[in-house]
Amino acid sequence: MKNKKTGLVFFPAFDWAISPTHPEREERLLYTRDQIFEEGVLDLPEIEEYAPRLATIHDVARVHFCVPRVQSQVTEAHLIAAGSATLLADAIIQGELKNGFALVRPPGHHAMRVVHGNRGFCNINNEAILVEYLRRHHGIKRIAIVDSDVHHGDGTQDIFYHDPDVLFISFHQDGRTIYPGTGFPNELGGPGAYARTINVPLPPGLGDETFHYVVDNLILPILDDFKPEFIINSAGQDNHFTDPLGSMRFTARGYAEFTRKLNPHLAVLEGGYAIETALPYVNLAILLALAGHDYSYIEEPERPGRMQENPERAAMVKRIVDQLRDIWENRDRVDLDKIFGTGTFYQRRKHIYYDTDYIEEEQLEKVRRCPNCPGYITIDSRADHGYGHPSHVFCVSIPFAACGACQAEAYDVYQQARKSSQYQYIYLQDKSTDTFLAFDRDKGQEWVSEGPGVGE
Amino acid sequence: MYIGIDVGGTCTDAVLLDRGAVRATAKVSTREDLLLTLLEALDEVMKGINGELIERVVFSTTVITNLIAEKKYDPVGLILMPGPGLNPNLYRFPTDTYIIQGAIDYRGREIIPLRLAEVDRVAEELAARGYRKVAVVGKFSCRNHRHEKEVAARLRWNYPNWHIEEGHQVAGQLNFPRRVVSTYLTCATREKYQFFVRSIREAISQRGIKGGVFILKADGGTLPLESSLEVPVETIFSGPAASTLGVQALMPPGESAVVVDIGGTTTDLALILSGQPLLASRGVRVDDMLTHVRALAVKSVPVGGDSVVERVGKDIVIYSERLGAPYCLGGPVPTTTDALRVLGLTRLGDAERAREAMQILGGPLGLSPAEVASQVTGEVIETIVQEIENMFTRWEQEPAYRVWEVLQKKKVRPSTVVGVGGGAAGFISQIAARLGGYPVIPPYAPVANAIGAAVARPTLQVTLRADTEQGFYIIQEEGYQGKITDRSFNEEKALELAKEWLCKRASRYGLEDCMEGLEVTRREVFNMVRDWVTIGRLIDITVQTRRGILYHVGGGGYRYEK
Repeated sequence: MKNKKTGLVFFPAFDWAISPTHPEREERLLYTRDQIFEEGVLDLPEIEEYAPRLATIHDVARVHFCVPRVQSQVTEAHLIAAGSATLLADAIIQGELKNGFALVRPPGHHAMRVVHGNRGFCNINNEAILVEYLRRHHGIKRIAIVDSDVHHGDGTQDIFYHDPDVLFISFHQDGRTIYPGTGFPNELGGPGAYARTINVPLPPGLGDETFHYVVDNLILPILDDFKPEFIINSAGQDNHFTDPLGSMRFTARGYAEFTRKLNPHLAVLEGGYAIETALPYVNLAILLALAGHDYSYIEEPERPGRMQENPERAAMVKRIVDQLRDIWENRDRVDLDKIFGTGTFYQRRKHIYYDTDYIEEEQLEKVRRCPNCPGYITIDSRADHGYGHPSHVFCVSIPFAACGACQAEAYDVYQQARKSSQYQYIYLQDKSTDTFLAFDRDKGQEWVSEGPGVGE
Repeated sequence: MYIGIDVGGTCTDAVLLDRGAVRATAKVSTREDLLLTLLEALDEVMKGINGELIERVVFSTTVITNLIAEKKYDPVGLILMPGPGLNPNLYRFPTDTYIIQGAIDYRGREIIPLRLAEVDRVAEELAARGYRKVAVVGKFSCRNHRHEKEVAARLRWNYPNWHIEEGHQVAGQLNFPRRVVSTYLTCATREKYQFFVRSIREAISQRGIKGGVFILKADGGTLPLESSLEVPVETIFSGPAASTLGVQALMPPGESAVVVDIGGTTTDLALILSGQPLLASRGVRVDDMLTHVRALAVKSVPVGGDSVVERVGKDIVIYSERLGAPYCLGGPVPTTTDALRVLGLTRLGDAERAREAMQILGGPLGLSPAEVASQVTGEVIETIVQEIENMFTRWEQEPAYRVWEVLQKKKVRPSTVVGVGGGAAGFISQIAARLGGYPVIPPYAPVANAIGAAVARPTLQVTLRADTEQGFYIIQEEGYQGKITDRSFNEEKALELAKEWLCKRASRYGLEDCMEGLEVTRREVFNMVRDWVTIGRLIDITVQTRRGILYHVGGGGYRYEK
């Protein structure tokens, strides 16, 4: 480990924006580039810069049901951001690197399993694509994602909600005060993956002290127990005290300290829109922490002020931490039937709002409760774009570790749905064989993606 | 008529060109005294030619390289203003380094003020330690040089005899540690370089040459002799640039090729892509320190025609050093050239002695001379081919920061492999075969480097950065900061302004005739948006005079590069 390097893919997408004045625009990583180049960190022997790479359409289809097709939801910039994460992961698994930082945009942690459009500045989920890539290409089983963005990583949570092998921990500003309005302690995962989703909402205004209380007393102990083979940090930087969208008071050094403690294999940039006052410093701090360098000389020009943390709010966080520790420790003793009922399917209804594209989506998600595997999932999704007919699709997802019975049953469900007249598109995602099908009812045509080179 | 002179480690090559034709060539041994070497080469190609007929003399120089390698310069003290960021103790510079307060950010705003009392205290310490040369460098000084200027002015006021260099005048690109090194080396070598330039100037005028005298730089451009005084460090490592430009001149225009320059102990590899030599993306390493000096992307491999071959136990090993001429040419020990001789791949030297050399190596191992010879050449070829492959990979792996840059990346493998340098003839066909390309040894290959020097174009560039919100612009190469008064200042106006500055610079250097065919090599515009409103623009523009060569050589006639 000692003499291995930290890999960096810096992809600021200087020619890509959601719209000219949108926070997710060309300028976002400009000052970060200036800072990183001027410091000369790319000349440090411990840091190696890599050229970005495109993810394949197949890599995206392994995670998402893009409506109508992957190609209609992603631009090349999205594929480069996702591909940069998988590129670094390849080098880490092959032993070339000890860890890596995908300092890339556009971000992805609000992108859910079904994608009708852009929500929370995200179209496809870079971390989720990485997780499925690691399982398919490197045989990695247990993976943890720790989301340090000020916004709840609801997309990542949605994708792995029923996945017992992926631990998702998100701490973020309390959803009652910020987009997307979710991420409460009672969101703990489905019946097959109970307590594999952990949410720590933080009251606005808290700083590094509380941040590190959560890290030391909840995140690190849980990771210690879970023993993931690979740790991913969804490295949002909008908890910074100067962020225009968030109201937290974390500092660049606080982020660096967190990175050192978490020691992730890969950090993937998410949000963070204080492009001048925070990003140059936080990105530099994370990179130095990953490379094992001293970050104590990094200081933002503005200071967070001497404001004492509000003791009541800090105490509230401590209570949540205690409560979640308790849930985690008793996760295997809890009576799941009491929480989730006893049916063969567990189902939940979701209303999803796409803030960027103004789409309203209604979902009915069902997961097969299988004693032998995580169970297949079906999703009935209707999206209202505000014009024309709402699109209505049906999705079937077979998990990576599916049992034969679930796989067979899921294929039947897919065939049945193809006969129904209510859906425009019907999708089948078989992660166990890496095969993805899509049926267009109007055209009576089925697309098959069996890997790169097919259908691309 | 043009003269090109390239000074190498062992040999100095010179050539006299009359339009597209080579009129004379010369090869002299490189002596201790660089000036004498240059003049000897010059006199040899000028035999019987009136000095007045010479329109242009271009030479490469190793004066700075030697000064630095032998550390024959006065000590330089460093005063740095790194501000917040990396731990400044991580930077290790080979001299006394003083860190003072003061910091500028990426947009040139002051974030920590200077303390002049601290400057005075540090200056006293430097004086007490005997320093008279000081380099002053701040982080982001290329975005605002105020702190550097203030410190330098203070030092000059207190110590009028000191030689002070400011970072922003030496290196305008981002990368603070490299700026420190470049400024340090400039400060260290400028005085001695001045002396060298003066002697050259005198010697040349004694020979009645009234044409322009130019110095070749590592990036393949040239500078008028006097102007090179501004950037002495840019004259290092120009040898590989000379050979690459030479190949460019000897090849049809617009072609792509791998250039393999096999010398006595090193082989230099370079790429010509669509007729233009590939530039390295980062500055060169000098004396194990990273600088901002731009150079062609050249990889040196420590193997050549005079490389010593020895038997170590049961292995036959090729060493990077040279112990004299090859055995077949009367040298003391077996070399790679002896192996080529045995295989009939060169006609140099005596065949019998070459066999003898291989026998010395292979005899005790029961190997025939032919077996030893093919083993040795095989290894040389393998090493070079491997490095060429690595070079392609590195080039393909260059980072890209825009979507279109990522999408346009493709595998390019030039099909032409050009051999130059003394050792090329024996190896090049096999190297080309391994790479699946065609071997080419152009006419005048042994003096391609001197030809490259003779036809290298003068290059000048100007980099403009405008911050319309703050209302100022910077000309990096000039260390100039000016106000933007025009409220409708935009990209087009910025480009015009950059061109104006380039014109001014060109006329100062007496290079007005280079202004044709300007190239815009960088054009970046970012809208600054705050709270959903565009409040200004950041515009970065680099314009330069055309790079490359003045004309192609060979075939009797001459073709100007379009």
